[in-house]
Amino acid sequence: MRRVAAGQQVLDAQAAAKMASAPEGAPPDPQRTGALAALASLDGLGHRRLRAVLAHHAPDEALGVIAGTHHAHQLVARLFPVESVAGWRRQLEACPPDLWSERCQAGRITALTAGDASFPASLRADQFPPAVLFVIGTLGGLARRRVAIVGTRNATLHGRQFAARLGRDLAAENVTIVSGLARGIDAEAHHGALTIADAAVIGVVGNGLDRPYPRQNAQLWAQVSEHGALLSEWPPGTAPDAFRFPLRNRILAALSEVVVVVESRETGGSLITAVEAAERGITVMAVPGDVRARGARGTNALIGDGAIPVTNVDDVLTALSIDTRRQRATTFDPRPLPRGVDADVLERVRRLPCTLDEVVTEFQLPITAAAMTMARLERSGWVYELGGWFEAVDPSLESS
Amino acid sequence: MLASISSASVLGATGRPVTVEVHVGTGLPSYQIIGLPDEACRESRDRVRAAVLSSGLAWPTDKRVTVNLAPSGERKTGAGLDVAIAVGVLAAFEQLPSDAAQRYGYVGELGLDGSLRPVPGVAPMVGVLCGREIVVPVASQVEARVVATAAVHPVSRLREIADVLIEGAPWPESALPELAYTEQSSADLADVHGQPIARLALEVAAAGGHHLLFVGPPGAGKTMLASRLVGILPNLERQQALEVTMIHSAAGLTLPPGGLVRRPPFRAPHHTSSVVALVGGGAATLRPGEASIAHGGVLFLDELGEFAPSVLDGLRQPLEDGVIRVARANIRATLPARFLLIGATNPCPCGEAAPGACACGATAKAKYVRRFSGPLLDRFDLRVPVHMPGVDALVAGDRGEPTALVARRVAAARRRSLDRAGVLNGALAPDDLDRHAPIDHDARALLRAEIERGRLTGRGYHRIRRVARTIADLRGEPPDVIGAEIVEEALQFRVRLRSPVPGRVA
Repeated sequence: MRRVAAGQQVLDAQAAAKMASAPEGAPPDPQRTGALAALASLDGLGHRRLRAVLAHHAPDEALGVIAGTHHAHQLVARLFPVESVAGWRRQLEACPPDLWSERCQAGRITALTAGDASFPASLRADQFPPAVLFVIGTLGGLARRRVAIVGTRNATLHGRQFAARLGRDLAAENVTIVSGLARGIDAEAHHGALTIADAAVIGVVGNGLDRPYPRQNAQLWAQVSEHGALLSEWPPGTAPDAFRFPLRNRILAALSEVVVVVESRETGGSLITAVEAAERGITVMAVPGDVRARGARGTNALIGDGAIPVTNVDDVLTALSIDTRRQRATTFDPRPLPRGVDADVLERVRRLPCTLDEVVTEFQLPITAAAMTMARLERSGWVYELGGWFEAVDPSLESS
Repeated sequence: MLASISSASVLGATGRPVTVEVHVGTGLPSYQIIGLPDEACRESRDRVRAAVLSSGLAWPTDKRVTVNLAPSGERKTGAGLDVAIAVGVLAAFEQLPSDAAQRYGYVGELGLDGSLRPVPGVAPMVGVLCGREIVVPVASQVEARVVATAAVHPVSRLREIADVLIEGAPWPESALPELAYTEQSSADLADVHGQPIARLALEVAAAGGHHLLFVGPPGAGKTMLASRLVGILPNLERQQALEVTMIHSAAGLTLPPGGLVRRPPFRAPHHTSSVVALVGGGAATLRPGEASIAHGGVLFLDELGEFAPSVLDGLRQPLEDGVIRVARANIRATLPARFLLIGATNPCPCGEAAPGACACGATAKAKYVRRFSGPLLDRFDLRVPVHMPGVDALVAGDRGEPTALVARRVAAARRRSLDRAGVLNGALAPDDLDRHAPIDHDARALLRAEIERGRLTGRGYHRIRRVARTIADLRGEPPDVIGAEIVEEALQFRVRLRSPVPGRVA
C-alpha cells in the first residue's frame, strides 16, 4: 500500500518529468505496442506503478530497467524491488516483447498511454486512469457527445428493447454509445446503435481484445471495432476474470458524459458503473421500472438516490443539452391492433410480464379463450413467450 | 427315503417353480443343499434343522441328507424354500406320510422355533404353483389368495403342518389378519388453489396417458399437483391389477387389505436413486425397480435435472415398450413397466423463472436444460409451466374442483378414446392420427404456421394433435373433427424452455 502511495506521488510529479509519448500523428509503432503489452502483462506490476514508471521512462526503457540494462530513474527506482524484478524477468523471457508485438499486430491492436495525443482526454484527467489502453478501431467517436448505456445481463425483453431503442435514437442524434459489450442490455444498446448508418460506438471490455467474451457477442465485437473502437486496459490474451469488470466500469464511466442504467438488480454490476460515474461528477440516469420487478430494483434505487429518470430518448438528450424540438419520423407499426379482451390483456402484459394462469384468473376467462388470446397476441407480434411467461414486445426496430 | 416337494422362487416379477428333492440315506452323517442356493438359501440348513427339532419332530442326525433344488441350473434365492425343505426332509425320513406331503405346494421361511414367516413375492410364487393347494405363512395369506386357483392353507407353525399330514387333522382356520395398512388417503385436487393451467394439464395427462413435465420455481406446487394425479385415474382393470399385485408382492411392498392392488400406484423415487433402484435388477432375484412398481400408475421424478443421466437413459426402454428387460450374466427377466411419467424441474439452477429475476449465467442455464433435454424431453407430450400462485389465489376461500368430479370426466374421456381407437390418445400412432384425431382446415393452417415459424417440430406436431384429441374428449360433447381453438389450447402446453434466438431483439 505504501509503495502504491509512493507511486501516486511520483505520478503527481510527472509534469516535471519526461513523457513517454509517441510523436503525434505518427503511425502506431509495433515495437512500442509490443513493449507496452509486455509491461501490462507483468504479474503484480499494477496500474499505478506502471503509470508512474511510464511517466519517467519510454516503454523500451522500462523493459531495460527490468532486464538490468538501463538505470531506473531515481524517482521510480524504489518501484522495482529486486524480488519482483526477478519474476518479471522470467516472464519477459517466456514471452518477449516481440511476441507481444506480433500478437497485437495480428489482432490490429494498438496501445496508448497517457502521453499519447490520442489518449482520451477525459481519461487523462481521471483520478485513476488506465496506464495502458489497448485499442482496436478508431477513437473518433470521442469527439462526439457520449452516453453510456449499461444494465443487467439477465434482462427482460422490455429492458432489452428499451436499450436497443435508446441506443438507436441517440445514435441517430450523433451521440456516441459507450457500453460494456456484455450480454443483455449492453449488447442491445450497441445493436440498436449499429442500425444507424454512421453511428459511433465505443465498447469497453474487461478482458483481452483478442478474446471476444461472451462468445455469442463475437460478431458484435467485430462490428463495434469497425464502426468505432474497442477498448481494454488489459493486454491481449487476458481472461475475463470477475474482478476485471468493476475496473472496466470505471473506464466506461470516465469516457461518458451521461451514464444510463436501463435495468439492474439490487446488486448489479451496472450500479458500480453508476457509482464510478457519480464520483466523477458524471450525470447518472436510470430507467424506472415496476416496484415488483427484480430487474428494476437497482434502477429504482438509483432514482431514489438522485439519478434522473429516463422514460424516453428526449430525457437523455435534455441532459446533454441537445435540442429535442425536431420533427421525428413517425413510426409505423404494422401489427394489427388487438381488440376487446385482447387489448385489455395486452395492457396487463405491458404493465408486468405475466403467465397464462394469471390471465385466466385475473380476467375470469376460460382456459381456451385465454389460450386463444395469448396465441393471437403472440402470433401478431405483441407478446413473446418464454418459460411460460409472456412479455410485451415493442414494434421492431427494423420496421419503424 | 426320497421325497420331492413343490415350491417356488421368484425372478423379477414372475414365479419360478422349484422342486425340492430330498434324499435321506446311509453314509457318513452330513447335510447338504445343492442346486445353486444363494447365501440366504444355504443358511436354511440351520434354520430348518432347528425348526424341526423345536417342533418336537426327529431329525435324521445319523444319516446323509442331500437336498437338491431343481432345476439345478437356476440360482435360488431367499428363505422362501425353508418350509418345503423341512417338509421334504421329514417326508424322506418317514416322519411324514410322503404322499400327503407331496400333494401341496409350500412357500415360507422358518423361524428357529418352528414358526412360519412371510417372504416377499408370495403372489408370483403362488401364481406359478397354480392347481396345487398351497401352504403359506399366515401373514402372506391375503397375497396368496389373490392369485391362487386352489385352496390356500395359512399356517403359523411347522407343527401344524405335521399334525395335518400325520393325523389327517383339518387345516387350521385363520381369520383374515388385521393389516396395518390404510388406503392411501389420496390428496384431493380441491386443495389446490389457483393453478388452472396445471390442473387442466393433470386432467389431460390422466385422460390421454400423456407424459407430463412441470416446469416451475421451487415452492410453486409441482409436487403437490403431481401427487394428486393418481386420484383422478380410474381403478386398474382386473388383468392389470393382477400384474401390479405380482410386482408389488415381488418387491416386498405391503399390499392393500383386499390383497389386490386396485388403485394405480404413485411412486416418487428420490433423485439420488441408482439405475438399479429405478429400473430393477440388482439382487439375483432381479427385484423390480421403481419404474416397474409404478406399472399402471404414476412415476413422479421430482428435480428431473438432478437425476443421473444414466438413470434417465434407463427409462427410455420402458417409455418406448412398456416393459423393462433386465439381463445379467446368465439370467434375464422381463418386468412390466407401463407408467405415466410426471417430471418436475426448475426452469434453471436458481429457479427464478420470472423475466429479469433469474441469476443464472447463460451457460449454467443451457447446461441445466441440456441435462434432461433430448430424447427424454421428447417423450413429454405436455410441458407445462407452473407458477407461484398469487397471494389472492392462496388465501381465497374458494376451493378448486374436487378430485371426484375431475375423475368422472377423465373416466369418460378414457372410455371414449378406448372405444374409438383401442388405445389411449397418448399412444396413438402417427398414421392413425388422421383417422382418430382429424383436424379441420383452420387448425391445420395454424399448425402449419407454427411449424414454419420454427416453433414446432415434426414430432411436436404429432404430439399436439394427440393432446388436442384428449382435450376434445374431455369436453361434454366431443367434436369428431378438432377445431383451431382446441389446437390453440394444446399449443399452450408446450412451454419453451430456451429462447430460440438468444439475446437479440434489435
